[in-house]
Amino acid sequence: MSMTAILRPIGMLKKYIEDKEEIEVQSGITVLDALISKKIPPELVAGVIVNGNYKYKDYLIQDQDIVQVIAVIGGG
Amino acid sequence: MNGYGGSVLRVNLASGKISKEPTPPRVARDFIGGRGFGAYFLFKEVPKGADPLGPQNKVIISSGPLSGLLIPGAGKMDWTTKSPLTGGYASSSLGGHMTAELKSAGLDTIILEDISLKPVYLFIDDDKIELRDAAEYWGRNTFDVEKSMKEKFGEEYQIAVIGPAAENGVLFAHVNHDFGRQAGRGGLGTVLGAKKVKAIVLHGTKPIPVADMQGYRKAGMALFKACKEAEGLKPWQSYGTTIVTSWCDEVGALPTRNFSAGSFEGGKTLYGPVMREQIVITDKGCFGCPCPCGKYSHMKRFNTRVEGPEYETIGMLGSNLGLSDIQDVAEANRLCDDLGIDTISTGGVISWAIECYQRGLLTRDDTDGLELKFGDPEVTFKLIDKIAKREGFGNFLSQGTKRASRQLGKGSEKYAVQVKGMEQSAYATHSATSMLLAYMTCDVGAHHNRAWAITYDLQVGRDKVVPEKVEKVIWFQNFRPMFDVLGSCRLQWVELSIDRDLYCPALEAITGIKRTWQDLELVGARIWNLTRMFWIRENEGFGRNWDLPAPRFYSDPPTTGVTAGKITSIEDVNKLLDMYYERRGWSKEGIPTETTLKEMGLAELVA
Repeated sequence: MSMTAILRPIGMLKKYIEDKEEIEVQSGITVLDALISKKIPPELVAGVIVNGNYKYKDYLIQDQDIVQVIAVIGGG
Repeated sequence: MNGYGGSVLRVNLASGKISKEPTPPRVARDFIGGRGFGAYFLFKEVPKGADPLGPQNKVIISSGPLSGLLIPGAGKMDWTTKSPLTGGYASSSLGGHMTAELKSAGLDTIILEDISLKPVYLFIDDDKIELRDAAEYWGRNTFDVEKSMKEKFGEEYQIAVIGPAAENGVLFAHVNHDFGRQAGRGGLGTVLGAKKVKAIVLHGTKPIPVADMQGYRKAGMALFKACKEAEGLKPWQSYGTTIVTSWCDEVGALPTRNFSAGSFEGGKTLYGPVMREQIVITDKGCFGCPCPCGKYSHMKRFNTRVEGPEYETIGMLGSNLGLSDIQDVAEANRLCDDLGIDTISTGGVISWAIECYQRGLLTRDDTDGLELKFGDPEVTFKLIDKIAKREGFGNFLSQGTKRASRQLGKGSEKYAVQVKGMEQSAYATHSATSMLLAYMTCDVGAHHNRAWAITYDLQVGRDKVVPEKVEKVIWFQNFRPMFDVLGSCRLQWVELSIDRDLYCPALEAITGIKRTWQDLELVGARIWNLTRMFWIRENEGFGRNWDLPAPRFYSDPPTTGVTAGKITSIEDVNKLLDMYYERRGWSKEGIPTETTLKEMGLAELVA
């Protein structure tokens, strides 16, 4: 049985998954690899929140994680 | 006028005469408020060639039509003057709670004129308006004075205060308010210090007239609802602007050791989550803010507290000085706030000095015996103190990077990271041509907030020099500062992606005047051209050379990080300017043409 997690892009990053709210991603890979696999430009991701906690793109995704990725929007 | 306090308060500090005049409806129509009022009164009333620290210069403090009302982030007020740091236009947006009190005292603008013979503070409690003796406060630090004044007058009184640095004439001294919010850039505090104004105390209780109360409530609530439901609200509340620290490090935008690189090997210990875990004790917001970006911190090692550091300060007093301990950065932040100097310019001038020392352009004979090196918090703290006191080597640095590098010579100008005399804020722009252009053409010097375009660089290709980038920068410059005109914070739109069209019904209900964003952007362009004309009027020979970036970004590629080996060629720099000037309707030297000035409705004002 494949192990999966949920990836939820926030803001303009949604356009890279056809404006869906979320998609399934494979667990056992890093957030960076998950972004690349879904063709979401990692350099446009400012923050990663996993199950409500701040993580970085090198976080190894666990089964059933909910991974929110936040777009860099407009700056200070 | 609906949406306005109704009056301009004029305070002559020399004679002590205090007078009110109605806020001119025509100025409200053409410049709306806040930053627009500042630019208008500065250009109209400060005579050509005025000494920024002399009696002819003025400090203009203005709220906007949204200020002090139930609109998310409507706690902003603009401070404008002729900058002693740059010799041009200075405008700084102050958050906190002052603007609500200003409007509720029936005022839209305060204009401070001339120079007082003795230290004073301006006391405003509705119609009781007085200049009072400030002898007991003069010479004291900002937090100490604000605390004393709060104890004296009451918590509901809002206070803006300068520190000893401003009294001493440090050219990048700021105005501090609410124990950690500043009118930070361009030396607003320095001008107040020269005028011998230690503080402004504000309290108001009058109603603010609104054209359509029901429509205002409906539109205001729609904005608050959008903020509350925004997906990005929770992380923004947790980390504020520090959410971008890791991202800047990752993409090569984090200023490192005087902008010699854009990625810092010690960056990870400065990131937002580390700061939150190690030092943040609570969140702190401005008037009417549903998403407070302020983080209040306790530095256990020093047993001190500060509001901050926010991202710009982390960049400029952290990575740019080679400091990787967030407690050290927060302590440097606290010292700057308490003594009254801008953290961005302070970080810029110290990093320049350290690089010059390392290159042998400065020696111990110049630095009062201090060995300058990156990554040394004790030297950083000593230099901040020396700058604020203008003591020894600190006096040399207190004039800012541009003047100090010209005085030193020996090629040190190459390492001065500034535009128009203002130290560049915390985005390294070796390989980000939109952001580079934004810094080059910003109306106060190298500041980021008019056009934060670096994301666009990453979206379309960071090295590309294409018309779309120029269009984007100009759109930002016309649009984003309009929040400073309206008197509300832009970060709800910026960070929470609030639909900007939600602001228009609110503005219409409050003022009774319908304006679209297209109308507002035209006002933004008008102000942009007016401030450009101020630079031209005040600086003989002003032109293209004033818009060039720091040489580092076109001649000195980083050797480490993701931007290693990358710069923007001087040919591309000039290509960017050519496109920018043409699109703005300016000459090849960057001067607005007569046609442009007519189109902007400025021909009469600038004649």
